[in-house]
Amino acid sequence: MIPIRYNLRSIVVRRMATAMTIGGVALTVAVFVSILAMIQGLRNTFLDTGEPLNLILIRQGSQSEAYSYFDRNIKGIVETMDGVDAVAGEIVVLINYPRISGETTNIIVRGVSEKSLELRSKVRVAEGRFFRAGLREVVVSRSISSRFKDARLGDAILIGRTKWNVVGILDASRTAYDSEIWADYNEVSEEFDRLIYSLLLVRCKDARSLQFIKERIAGDRRVKLDAFGEKEYFETQTSSALPIQVLGYMVGIIMAVGSCFAVMNTMYAATAHRTREIATLRVLGFKRRNILLSFMLESVVLAVCGGVVGCLLALPVHGISTGTANFASFAEIAFQFRITPPLIAEGMLFAAFMGGIGGLLPARRAAKMQIVQALRPEV
Amino acid sequence: MKFVSFILRNALRNRRRTVLTILSISMSLFLICTLRTLLDALESPTLTPEAAKRVVTRHATGLANSMPISYRERIRRVPGVEEVMANQWFGGVYKDPANFFAQFVVDADHFFDVYSEIRTETPEQRDAFTGLRTASLAGVNLAKRFDWKVGDRITLQGSIFPVNAETTIVGLVKGGGAESNFYFRWDYFNELFPANISGSFVVKARNVEDVPVVSESIDAMFLSSTAPTKTETEAAFILSFMSMWGNVRVLVGSISTVVLFAVILVAANTMAMSIRERTGEIAILKTLGFAPRQILGMTIAESALIALAGGLAGSIGARYLYASFDLTAYTMGFIQTLDVRWATVLLSAGISIAVAFISTFVPAYNAARAPIAVAIRRR
Repeated sequence: MIPIRYNLRSIVVRRMATAMTIGGVALTVAVFVSILAMIQGLRNTFLDTGEPLNLILIRQGSQSEAYSYFDRNIKGIVETMDGVDAVAGEIVVLINYPRISGETTNIIVRGVSEKSLELRSKVRVAEGRFFRAGLREVVVSRSISSRFKDARLGDAILIGRTKWNVVGILDASRTAYDSEIWADYNEVSEEFDRLIYSLLLVRCKDARSLQFIKERIAGDRRVKLDAFGEKEYFETQTSSALPIQVLGYMVGIIMAVGSCFAVMNTMYAATAHRTREIATLRVLGFKRRNILLSFMLESVVLAVCGGVVGCLLALPVHGISTGTANFASFAEIAFQFRITPPLIAEGMLFAAFMGGIGGLLPARRAAKMQIVQALRPEV
Repeated sequence: MKFVSFILRNALRNRRRTVLTILSISMSLFLICTLRTLLDALESPTLTPEAAKRVVTRHATGLANSMPISYRERIRRVPGVEEVMANQWFGGVYKDPANFFAQFVVDADHFFDVYSEIRTETPEQRDAFTGLRTASLAGVNLAKRFDWKVGDRITLQGSIFPVNAETTIVGLVKGGGAESNFYFRWDYFNELFPANISGSFVVKARNVEDVPVVSESIDAMFLSSTAPTKTETEAAFILSFMSMWGNVRVLVGSISTVVLFAVILVAANTMAMSIRERTGEIAILKTLGFAPRQILGMTIAESALIALAGGLAGSIGARYLYASFDLTAYTMGFIQTLDVRWATVLLSAGISIAVAFISTFVPAYNAARAPIAVAIRRR
């Protein structure tokens, strides 16, 4: 095998061409990794939400708590079921609300009780305090607070026809609840004149009773509810990442094809400049396949260098917080770009792939070269 | 003229390199055009003159809140209003939640007056919709997607409303963006779900000039009622939906910028390679009396030719590619067509020339300025 040092030195010799090719691959990888980070962040937001022993009960067929409503008496029926530890009755209202940048979108306002906080261990009050029952007070999740109008601690936010004081900031550990405004159940239900529950959040005693309760709800003709595990409920909403996924892969593939052509260009130039070197290597006894491998390797190394730079370029997007529409409810779902080690690996693999494809034809040409012709002095 | 053939011959000297560069640039410009068109489609939907006369009234809190149907008659009496109709998003499930499409509940009697650009295949189909209580209309693209025909019975399982709508398709519609929508009648809906409500009202003003006054009078009329309203133009209403998807503009903008840098690198690499090979020739040209400015101009022209070929291939390719297939199925109905405007093609031609200039100026300038003796020796 031809020592890889030969390729590394060749790469360094053609400084300008190398730098520009690496730059092209790097930009492609940076875009690809950034979009993957966005998809990852959005998916993880849903996947991290929910606790294993919690059930979400919503009206049959409604598919989303935002469009569910049912009689409040049902709470009493569910509370007395065997294996039920605690039940929180909640109301969910979508309000159309402006971002700081001006455009409006829908935000979930959740009418809750103290119990709702207990049943969601990942949600806590990070600043200020929880709202007091009976008052028009709200706690706002951090990513809503920083991106929407009049939502900072101490502001008064317009919900329905009343101004509500923001008394606390919620931290929901980057779960889907990080996109919500919470207030007292009674106040919300009164403000919107909807004396109903949108969902019941049920904490079960153990996994067996959870399964049992789920089956009982499904079989109970009186309640007409669908029971989902809290985790399972949010897992299905990962489909909200679909449009970004489609866009991301399209952009990634098109840019990759473009970069492959660029790598090809560089590698063709490299083989053309080194005709005599290649011939010499052959004379020294290296086989055609050694040459092929050597040039393929050079191309991959070149692209992987681009991959490293690309990943470094993409790193700053980590942690950027943004929002998109949740498919299930059409409400804002806030999330953060997340770059994880597997994602970096994916980026590098993507780069190596471009190098491999781009290097294939030039390497083949180098390997097929006739020694005699190649050694003939240039005209 | 002699320059033209000189430039052309130079551009085609290393055919493989030129073709690879053109391909690489065309992929990038294809992508930029796609993103630009996507943004156009999301931000400025093509509106007919009729659409400018329409405003949409909804509940001030948000679309998930509905208004009493009695608003319809009160809106009709507002001066300047020509026609008004109830418009409720049904959000039902056809067989599987993945079969998502827009379903509107509308007033059959006023539907074709308010949306005068929407047409059925025959006048009989139009009469059938006003004649049959359980009638429905399907957009032509939607019908194609599910292989529906006039006379088919369609059951939509309600998710927002706890009812199932069973309707018969009496006609296929097109025009006014109705190609992927589904419409059925409000009186049938109200029979299934007798709440006397509508999520929005579509109002057609007599004249475009009346639109601001009509909007203001409607909102003023309901200001202190239990369901205050928000009235805006149809264009603004559609835009507010698009803004839900998040900051698409920034996303598209940043991807395009990075792609642009990648194109510059590709073009610069190619031109640097070919200029380096020609150092000697350039020296000879100068010996023959060509001014550095002429050499600079010819080199930039050559690069502009290559970049322009790539840019036009990419953008015109995008135009015809997207025109030739239906995007509805791939985007769950959110984007029906991507119409790459000629303005966008022109834009990418402009970008190509700018890229050529930026990428070639420095190496060409240096080559044109190099002293003849040095350049010839370097050969």
